[in-house]
Amino acid sequence: MSDNNSRKSENPSRESDDASRGDESNTAVETGGGESEPGEPRRGAKRTDGGVATGGRTADTDYLDARVNIFKPSTPFMRDHLRIVWTMFAAWAVFVFGPVTATYLATDFMTSTTVGGFPLHYLLTSMGAPLGALVLSFVYARKRDALDEKYGIDHSSGATSADAEPAAADGGTER
Amino acid sequence: MMLTPLDLLPDALNASFKLIPAIMVSAMLLLFLGIGYAFRVADTEDLWVAGRSIGNVENGMAIGANWMSAASYLGMAALIALSGYYGLAFVVGWSTGYFILLIFLAAQMRRFGKYTAPDFVGDRFDSDTARAIAALTTILIGFVYSVGQARGMGLVGIYVFGGDYTTMVVLMMGITVGYLALSGMLGATKNMAVQYVILIVAFLAGLYAVGWTQGYSTFLPQVEYGALLSQLNTEFTQPFTNGGFYLWVATAFSLIVGTCGLPHVLVRFYTVESERTARWSTVWGLFFICLLYLSAPAFAAFGTDLYAKKVGDVYGASGMSGAEGDVIVVLASQLANLPTWFVGLVAAGGIAAAIATTAGLFIAASSAAAHDIYTNIINSDATQRQQLLIGRATIVVLGAIVTLTALNPPALVGELVALAFSLAGLVLFPMFFLGLWWENANRPGALAGMTTGLLIWTAAVFNELILATDAGPVVPIYADIFPAVGAALAGTPIVFAVTIGVSLATDEPPERIKRIVRQCHSPEPMGQQQSAEDVVSNDGGPVSGDD
Repeated sequence: MSDNNSRKSENPSRESDDASRGDESNTAVETGGGESEPGEPRRGAKRTDGGVATGGRTADTDYLDARVNIFKPSTPFMRDHLRIVWTMFAAWAVFVFGPVTATYLATDFMTSTTVGGFPLHYLLTSMGAPLGALVLSFVYARKRDALDEKYGIDHSSGATSADAEPAAADGGTER
Repeated sequence: MMLTPLDLLPDALNASFKLIPAIMVSAMLLLFLGIGYAFRVADTEDLWVAGRSIGNVENGMAIGANWMSAASYLGMAALIALSGYYGLAFVVGWSTGYFILLIFLAAQMRRFGKYTAPDFVGDRFDSDTARAIAALTTILIGFVYSVGQARGMGLVGIYVFGGDYTTMVVLMMGITVGYLALSGMLGATKNMAVQYVILIVAFLAGLYAVGWTQGYSTFLPQVEYGALLSQLNTEFTQPFTNGGFYLWVATAFSLIVGTCGLPHVLVRFYTVESERTARWSTVWGLFFICLLYLSAPAFAAFGTDLYAKKVGDVYGASGMSGAEGDVIVVLASQLANLPTWFVGLVAAGGIAAAIATTAGLFIAASSAAAHDIYTNIINSDATQRQQLLIGRATIVVLGAIVTLTALNPPALVGELVALAFSLAGLVLFPMFFLGLWWENANRPGALAGMTTGLLIWTAAVFNELILATDAGPVVPIYADIFPAVGAALAGTPIVFAVTIGVSLATDEPPERIKRIVRQCHSPEPMGQQQSAEDVVSNDGGPVSGDD
């Protein structure tokens, strides 16, 4: 537990959107449903702990009790994230398998149309698909960063190795 | 397509000892050994995950170098030159797969935070058998993949040092193994950034020089080669002449899921400092990869045209041989009458590409043997010294087997490598994907799924390569549905279905496992050295009783 405190206190920025997020996260925890029982006392403890010490918003949603199923996101964060993932996956599929399918279905049109010397099917396959994937990757990483910001996630604190020391010590004493 | 015995001497290539290129290649190899020595390691954390300290661009370059093997540097242009539009399936599959890796796996894998791909499978499905199957698959992938690299290195070595194919394969593999045994992953990661720079500079310089001197292009050969396409033999652009629509899609699909299942690619995400770095370094990696993949078709077009003008017919019985195709990048530079030292630079890039990737594969295979099989299954009290010893022994033994197999390889560089992708896509990708995205995937499901995948792949390879005769595959219909390089299109959904079905029919995994999966998707930042398992077990709760 002391580990949780120390990590949270390094992210004071999360306090700001604590209040605004409280409601929806609580519902999410409940929809987590099924086996919420074992986690129950702990979640309560965490919330009190969050309220007293720093009020970090991560105390609201207990992600360890939220089921993971790619078709049934159970937290607001996962819902937002998966919306991005699926939209971009659809766009990717068009870039990757679109050109070859179009070439198969409309061979004459695709091979006889030329753009800058390239037959259209060759251009879309050799350049459209790789560049499309590159652009989509960039857009995804940007959107994911924006999502992190929305949920007050700060990776810079997670990356310090100082963080790991108390974690290890903590685990040692608990066992 | 993969049945014809391959010539091992590229006839059109000027094979003789050349002093300046030989000095350049030797200097480059010494540089790798020097870097490897300077960053040599003594403990396993460094050997396998480089202390989890690698940043964005550096990891992106390492992803690029790790990725861009002889199959990209040499094999890609060869496939495009020899099989036309079908060759583009390789461009598409090998680049766009990174996007799937990025959105579905990279950050979650980083959060899971173990050492190796088999580690993930073993811990996630809580089974040493699953760990062993994954480890053996990793070693098998490393083997198949490296045979392609050894062939590439051997062929290019002939240009630089003369001599025969056998000597070159033995020499080059010896150097690779030597430097790996010295340096491990940290050295390898530092090396990979250097190797990426060498290989991309060499490739682009070669492309620009050929395009410029032969009047094909000026400032953007990647786009300007379009004007040349109409002058080439129609086989170069005509769709579906060397493989139909199904084979095209199957190949691209296999390469995509294979990308997401390759252990030596995944381990790159364990080496980074945070999950955000895991994401952005993937974007960087794809950018670095695209630099080469947008250029390879241009190189193929230039090479094909030069071959037609200066050597003879490209296609048909007396056309370009497989060995000539596999060195077309070097061959094009030679046919363009570029200075010997310059062609040597292009050749050195090919060698750098092959060594970088072989290094990554051997590291993955050696950690599978030392960490996953030896330490976790055979001797749980293994000291770091013993693990390092086993790891290095694996590298040496694997190097010897790869060298022997590469003396008489069954297919083109690019095709050999594609076989490894279809194996990864069939066996490991479904485990990674379901393991991370469906918490109810369980041990019996994983075992059944991986076994199914292995069977499909083995049957395809035996059917099409090992037992096949001149008349074709043993069972033609099986080869149509599960072509060896594209077995994942029909096979991966089957593996998914088997895994899901068996998981549903058996008990759900323990709560402890589910919580680890959830931790992989939690947005809360984690410590640099923490794994999802650490977080879950430090958290108290009902954990320990569950197991």
